[in-house]
Amino acid sequence: MEFLSVFLAGATMLGLGMVFAVVLLIASIKLKVEVDPKVEQVQETLPNVDCGACGFAGCASYAKAVVADPKLIGACAPGGSNTSEKIALVLNLQVSEGGAPSRPIIHCRATSKDKTFYASYDGIPTCTATNAQPNVQACKFGCMGYGDCTTACKFDALHIIDGLAVVDYDKCTGCTACAKACPRNLIEMVPFTHENMMVVACSSQESGKDTRQMCKVGCIACKLCTKKSDQFTMNGNNARTDYENYSPNEGTETAIDKCPTGVIVYRGKTAPPPRPAGQKPKPTAKA
Amino acid sequence: MDTLQTLIIGFLSVVIVNNLVFTKFLGICPYLGVSGRIDMAFGMGCAVTFVVTLAGTLTWLIDHLILQKVGLEVLMYVCFILVIAGAVQLVEMYVKKFFPPLYESFGIFLPLITTNCAILGLCLFLNLWEIDSFIEAVVLSFGAGIGFTMAICIMAGIRENLRLADVPDALQGAPITLITAGILSMAFMGFAGMIG
Repeated sequence: MEFLSVFLAGATMLGLGMVFAVVLLIASIKLKVEVDPKVEQVQETLPNVDCGACGFAGCASYAKAVVADPKLIGACAPGGSNTSEKIALVLNLQVSEGGAPSRPIIHCRATSKDKTFYASYDGIPTCTATNAQPNVQACKFGCMGYGDCTTACKFDALHIIDGLAVVDYDKCTGCTACAKACPRNLIEMVPFTHENMMVVACSSQESGKDTRQMCKVGCIACKLCTKKSDQFTMNGNNARTDYENYSPNEGTETAIDKCPTGVIVYRGKTAPPPRPAGQKPKPTAKA
Repeated sequence: MDTLQTLIIGFLSVVIVNNLVFTKFLGICPYLGVSGRIDMAFGMGCAVTFVVTLAGTLTWLIDHLILQKVGLEVLMYVCFILVIAGAVQLVEMYVKKFFPPLYESFGIFLPLITTNCAILGLCLFLNLWEIDSFIEAVVLSFGAGIGFTMAICIMAGIRENLRLADVPDALQGAPITLITAGILSMAFMGFAGMIG
């Protein structure tokens, strides 16, 4: 009798287990989802920081999208050309143009000392709030230094130093969060084809006279740089670098040296320090 | 008519009076873990409702058609766990195949339903309450799932509003959640004794 109940218990469990095993086996065949192994391989090559710069929800969904549509190669801003090449390797494609990783540059170089303030501001300490107050900082185009960009940065790559946002290019992944956060649109994403890039670190559209009154290091729209080198163009009352055909040469070096306010600076991992504010350009040796 | 009345009363009783979360304190981990956002909470509630209905029905059948016939109620626990694990596997495959976005948003929680004590608890309660009709077992299982969904959604709603509240520093996060859960539980004690 005891043996019978042991046998029954065993048989019941075995029977139930068998039934479930068969049901699950059938289900696993019928409901099988084919996962492309390439998706996983692509995801491994991605930085996996889920920054969203590519326009997808995260690295996983970008990986899926890029396998389905290889045209999306290169959308990964933190990865840049290295990642593009690795993805291309996985997908067995040739990438003709990797594209340099884009990094933010800040179109302002004025520290607190260089700026003019009409009033002091004790309100909510964010750039967005400050931007709504007219006439606190004289320059309507300059960095306000309350650090909306540093808050937006997930990688601790932006810091406010002397009232000016400074990018730490060693930590920056190019996720574009700061460019979206700046209420004055001072931050531009630029393809870093060289380690250090020339930047006209001003975005003021005021006339040269007004800019000079408000800021020691503003672009006064003298057009000197555009005459020295074709790398610079005028955009209203503001010079800008032509990043599409970026190639620094002797002309650009002269332009940097000759700039009356020293507003053309290098930005990048090993950028030389900019000319101190207010220092006059070196006198030209006449030939 | 009499059956219908029994079913309605049974359903209300398991949703409100004998709510698994509020009065039996079962299924507390997803109740606290997934109740951060109301849409996630509702998704979890739906998954649990589905699994608990399936598992409750199957376990009632196994209990009455096999175990009680051969007098092996002692195997109840191990059989029920087997059924629940199997049902969760099945649901997971089904959701993965037909609702991939839902599958991704569930993440780890779908497999975790396997070890959700509310489900095993309900299966055992069906036996404990001596539910003899099949249809009543189905309705009660479904009601338990609805009760769980209601509990987790109420909690998620409160927690979403709690984010805007001025909570003392020492009570931030888990403590205030547990206090909320306690007060909610007490509120639902008011229904005790209303239906048998």
